[in-house]
Amino acid sequence: MNRKFVCIICPNSCQLKVEYEDKTIKKIIGAQCPKGEAFVKNEITNPLRVFVGSVKVTNGNFKLVSVKTPNPIPKKYLKHIGKITHSLEIAAPVAIGQTIASNLLNEKIDLVATRKVRKKNLSIKK
Amino acid sequence: MTEKDVIIIGGGAAGLAAALACRERGIKDILIIERNAYLGGILHQCIHDGFGLEKFNASLTGPEYAQRYIDLVMSKKIPYLLDSMVLDLNAKKEILVTNRQGLHHYHAKVIILAMGCRERTRGAIAIPGTRPAGIYTAGVAQELINLKNYMIGRKVVILGSGDIGMIMARRLMLEGAEVLLVAEKLPYSSGLPRNINQCLYDFDIPLLLNHTVIDIKGNGRISEVALAEIGKRGGIIKKSKRKIPCDTLLLSVGLIPENELSRQAGVILNPITGGPEVDERGQTNISGIFACGNVLQVHDIVDNVSLEAEYITEGIIDYLQGQLKKHQAIQIILSNGLRYVVPQKILTLKDTIFSFRVNQPGKKKTLLFEENNTLIHKTFFSRVNPAEMLRVKLSSEELENIKRLTVRLV
Repeated sequence: MNRKFVCIICPNSCQLKVEYEDKTIKKIIGAQCPKGEAFVKNEITNPLRVFVGSVKVTNGNFKLVSVKTPNPIPKKYLKHIGKITHSLEIAAPVAIGQTIASNLLNEKIDLVATRKVRKKNLSIKK
Repeated sequence: MTEKDVIIIGGGAAGLAAALACRERGIKDILIIERNAYLGGILHQCIHDGFGLEKFNASLTGPEYAQRYIDLVMSKKIPYLLDSMVLDLNAKKEILVTNRQGLHHYHAKVIILAMGCRERTRGAIAIPGTRPAGIYTAGVAQELINLKNYMIGRKVVILGSGDIGMIMARRLMLEGAEVLLVAEKLPYSSGLPRNINQCLYDFDIPLLLNHTVIDIKGNGRISEVALAEIGKRGGIIKKSKRKIPCDTLLLSVGLIPENELSRQAGVILNPITGGPEVDERGQTNISGIFACGNVLQVHDIVDNVSLEAEYITEGIIDYLQGQLKKHQAIQIILSNGLRYVVPQKILTLKDTIFSFRVNQPGKKKTLLFEENNTLIHKTFFSRVNPAEMLRVKLSSEELENIKRLTVRLV
């Protein structure tokens, strides 16, 4: 089977022409780096994406902390994880890389913070 | 009047990188002036990943990319003002700043313009109709959703296929809204191909090329838009007009460098880039005023903003040391296939990075640098796209003894 892919790994957005049978890649044209092949392999078996979203913070200098999955997760779970983030809440301070939730959907999907949130400064500024 | 060596207006991606590069090259007396309550600029609301692939060899989110720079600025103890707005800048490089502590006057030997850009609005593209609530620019929607925790709507139409619009399409889907379609008036997307795939196609959002919104209806809140196809000659095909019920319209129709201060100072702006006309190291027509990042030219990748900010520092050092002599002036002439080139002129012979945008998408194109039809340099691109800035470096040897450099794409 022949199919065209656009690699989403980096902004080069390589346009890949792929010849594959079942789940075996026979030929890839257009990849500027080896990441293209790994990407296509996932696309034809189990497409993976990094989830990004945000989670409510209490008492922080930001109202939300941005989160991501440290590793790409199966694409089909993206919307589920989005829904779950609505019900999560964390108290400031939050550090970058701090785990916000773990083993979501029993699929070993974790969420880590991507923004540093300080405790809200309650004293009045001069 | 407080004296400084270098004042940087704007503490976003460009300003932070410029501050660090200046410090690393030995400039001690630096001040960053930021109007927001935090450093990092627009990166804080860009919570998607894909930043830093070139600078850090990692796929970071916007806040993570910003924090790397903020941490460095903190560790080097580079002074900055937050919640501080520059009201005036003049050609003598005097700055008037306002903040909670009052008005402050500064003078600097070097000013770095790093104010970034802002979005084109409904007014700028003149969509007729009523004026209901529920119409946002994509970046404002991004700020509301990602920083302020407000949901902006449930049934969304997006006009314009810029990167922020497409990224917001995905974000809205993940937040539980329904994105009905993305309409683009051009025959090609104005965003990166990877975003069309991972933001639109992943969520089955149709991208309608050659389509635009021609009417907006709604009392109080937007209730519907009229969509129409654009014909080959650029006019609207009346028969194609159809109504799309929705409660939100997002506009992702371009970015404009924010140059009000530059204008006040008398900096000459380029009508195409919307940014200052600069020499090979980002110096404007006013000596000692430099520009980098989105205020100079709108970038598509933040790594290039950081690199540009670092790159202009060489010129700043030379200027401060009084070594910025005009060895030779090269006039740069833009020819076929290109929308713009930065820099617009070369004053000092140095290895020079040229940034370009092309007029339209194409395959197997060659960028030619010529003087009087003599080839100076050429670079081949297997694919070009107006959404992607091209960068090409010419060595000082190649530029030697040249007076007029013509650049074209064939």
